[in-house]
Amino acid sequence: MIGFLQPLALLGLTAAAIPPLLHLLGRRRPPTVVFPAIQYLTATEREHSRRLKLRNLLLLLLRVAAIVLIVLAAARPVAHVQAGTSHPPTALAIVVDNSLSAGAVVAGQTVLATLATRARDVLERSEAGDQLWLVLADGELRRVTRATAHATLDSLTPWPVRLDLGTAVRAAVRGVRESELGLGEVVVLSDLQASALSSGPPVEGRVLVLEAPSRPENLGVDSAVSEPTRWTPSGSVIASIGGHAAGRTAVRLEIDGVEVARTVASAGDRVVLEGSAPGSGWLTGIVRLDADELRGDDTWYLGIRASGPTAVGVVTHVGRFVEDGLAVLREDGRIALGNVVQLADRPQSGATVVVPPAEPALTGAVNRALAARGIDWRFGELLEGEWSIRGDLPGAGEAVYRRYRLSGSGDVLATVGGDPWLVRTGEVTLLASRLEESWTALPVRATFVPFLEILVSRIAIGSPGIVHARPGEAVRLPGAAVRVELPEGTVAIPASGAILAPQRTGVFMLVDAAGDTVGVLEVNHDARESVLDPADRTALRAALGDGVEVVSEATLARELFGGARRAELTGILLGAALVIVVIELVVATFGTGATRA
Amino acid sequence: MAQRLDLLDPYEVAQLGDLELVARGVVEGFLTGLHRSPFKGFSVEFAEHRPYRPGDELRYLDWKIMGRSDRLFVKQFEEETNLRAMIVLDVSRSMDWTGHERRLTKLEYAKRLVAALSLVLLKQRDATGLIGFDDEVRTVVRANARYRHWWELLAAVSALRPGRGTVAEPALRRVTDLLRRRGLVVFVSDLLLDRELVMLALQFLRHRGHQVMVFHLMDPGERSLEGPPEARFEDPETGTGFVARPRELRGVYERTVRDTVLAWRARCRAGGIDYHHVLTDVPFGRVLRQAANRRSRLG
Repeated sequence: MIGFLQPLALLGLTAAAIPPLLHLLGRRRPPTVVFPAIQYLTATEREHSRRLKLRNLLLLLLRVAAIVLIVLAAARPVAHVQAGTSHPPTALAIVVDNSLSAGAVVAGQTVLATLATRARDVLERSEAGDQLWLVLADGELRRVTRATAHATLDSLTPWPVRLDLGTAVRAAVRGVRESELGLGEVVVLSDLQASALSSGPPVEGRVLVLEAPSRPENLGVDSAVSEPTRWTPSGSVIASIGGHAAGRTAVRLEIDGVEVARTVASAGDRVVLEGSAPGSGWLTGIVRLDADELRGDDTWYLGIRASGPTAVGVVTHVGRFVEDGLAVLREDGRIALGNVVQLADRPQSGATVVVPPAEPALTGAVNRALAARGIDWRFGELLEGEWSIRGDLPGAGEAVYRRYRLSGSGDVLATVGGDPWLVRTGEVTLLASRLEESWTALPVRATFVPFLEILVSRIAIGSPGIVHARPGEAVRLPGAAVRVELPEGTVAIPASGAILAPQRTGVFMLVDAAGDTVGVLEVNHDARESVLDPADRTALRAALGDGVEVVSEATLARELFGGARRAELTGILLGAALVIVVIELVVATFGTGATRA
Repeated sequence: MAQRLDLLDPYEVAQLGDLELVARGVVEGFLTGLHRSPFKGFSVEFAEHRPYRPGDELRYLDWKIMGRSDRLFVKQFEEETNLRAMIVLDVSRSMDWTGHERRLTKLEYAKRLVAALSLVLLKQRDATGLIGFDDEVRTVVRANARYRHWWELLAAVSALRPGRGTVAEPALRRVTDLLRRRGLVVFVSDLLLDRELVMLALQFLRHRGHQVMVFHLMDPGERSLEGPPEARFEDPETGTGFVARPRELRGVYERTVRDTVLAWRARCRAGGIDYHHVLTDVPFGRVLRQAANRRSRLG
């Protein structure tokens, strides 16, 4: 069997038409030579015309053959040579895809089990002189022996990570090329997800890719976010369902093991799961789908901060409308009376919503208090006019008539006339206008009470410390956290706050020096692993280069270590071309010499 | 030391003067050192032997009898007359060709050779005539032994212009009308004609008792095939031709020419005809000497 390493060069075969074309184009009217002894010439030509025609045809064929051979040599043909079962020492790297998607069950066993079996088959073909490498889903190049490779394969499980196949193959090729052995091969055993391919420079060397196994239907959770991030104690989770499947699946929300909501969804849906937290504090939420052929992407972990109604107290006079609104919320049980959040005309010790004073002369004292609290924001001049509130919160679009100019830095939650209107730094939230009808139309609108609830229950308290990560990913944790609680024990967080996320999915508590939980680390799978569509040969070659050979199991068995038994025919063809050129020269030069006396 | 014209390059000799001057120069050089007439004895017919007497010329001594009987006899001849020679010159179109600008055409070479040969014959009082032909007889000059007849021959030769095709048989038949007695026929041609027909005519002359001498003229450019990589080779007499590549045919062509010369030589020898292959770059004196030597051996 013959293949070509540079098949594009075969386009050069059109050059084989050059000699016949030259022959045809070169047929012009020759000059006339007066020659009296033409009877001798006639006799000669009559005697040898047939021989000359044959000779010229032979020359034409030789020239065409020489061009064809040179073009074929440029295409670098290789031929498989059957030379027994042994092979010369070879550097062999095996890429085994144990990413999350390899956990899909096909024909009663996981794809990974099938790939591992193929890997063992490959290892069995290796010999003592071979050098072996193993590349798993983390893309790391591992030098192994046959025994350690078998041990690794025996204990291999699907990891909740995404395999970057391009990176893994390039790492494998690099390892093989750096081997002191002259011969090298890379065998890729993967489900060949199209989403796993990353482009890069074409790989050089022999890369055998086992063709993709059949794929099952699959649904997975692509993402899930808590809304709001702090449940009081009710809340909701918005989940996105990914994968590809014709049917629908049940979607459940479990909080600390208790199912609090359920719905059904299909691929591409976004669903809202509403419920009430079964407890308070930091809880572990799981969005779970019904089990399908790929279990690894059927769950999504999220941390939920649950508590009772926010205790709100008014420290100084902040206006009649605010006090009336808080009373309505208290009556409805949405907030409680207390001092978790305080409303005042200057910052207090805890979470504070600063409502500016009516008299501009008092802003100096407020600014000094802000500076003392370490807040960068300052109240400036009083502006009068008419503007609209801009922001993603109730009350957006309502008019503002009077406001202080706010200057400083921090989170800007709403603007008026392009200037900050509602800002927050740490536990201090500032309004640029008093919530009275002479300052803004908001208090006399229906959106005022919802605005007030969000202001005291969510904005003023701030977001809980939730960090999202994928398994093994480097993350930076909140400064207050000093350790992360894992099932197998606690892990100290360095001063920089940067750690590698655990290699498993889950919700992991972040604890401060006092032992209080200050946030959670959510570790979830990569949603791209849920899309099991395989890459075709064109995409594979586009990503990895034309040298990649996609082979069946039978072909893999035949071609394995074939590099050692494959002969590149370039030299032979060039030699043959040289011989033909020499023959052509001899025939052209001495073609009539054979008839000389 | 003066140059002998008979040994110079024919082209250079031709540059020295007209036909007469060249012929005289060549013959003068040719005859230098010869002790007897070079073509003597052609028409002397043997009658009987008589015993040798002191004073007889030794060249008439019959060596064969002396070898057999150890006795000396000399040959006596029935009639000793001057030779009658007829030169038959081919003036066809093919004769008007040279392969190199510094070589004489075959016709120009032949004219000078004929002039020299006729002068040699007339110098030994042999009657000499001329027939010029192409595809028919163009010129006839009857044989005459007077010395001044040479100028008549020269004028006829000079007046000959290249003709058309080549048909030799009428000219050779005409010889039989002009040579009633046995004599010498000198046939000068490039022999680019039908060999069988010509040989038939020459054989007929031989049967009539004539000595026949053939000068086969050939330009050196005809011995090998030269020219552009591909050319249409055209016959100057018929205008026919065909396309050929000299490089491809050269070897075979040379062998064909060689075989042709050998064939002419063999056929002539078999018929008792004196054959001379003459290249037009060979000095005239060498050609004459070679012919004279051959006649001497035959005689």
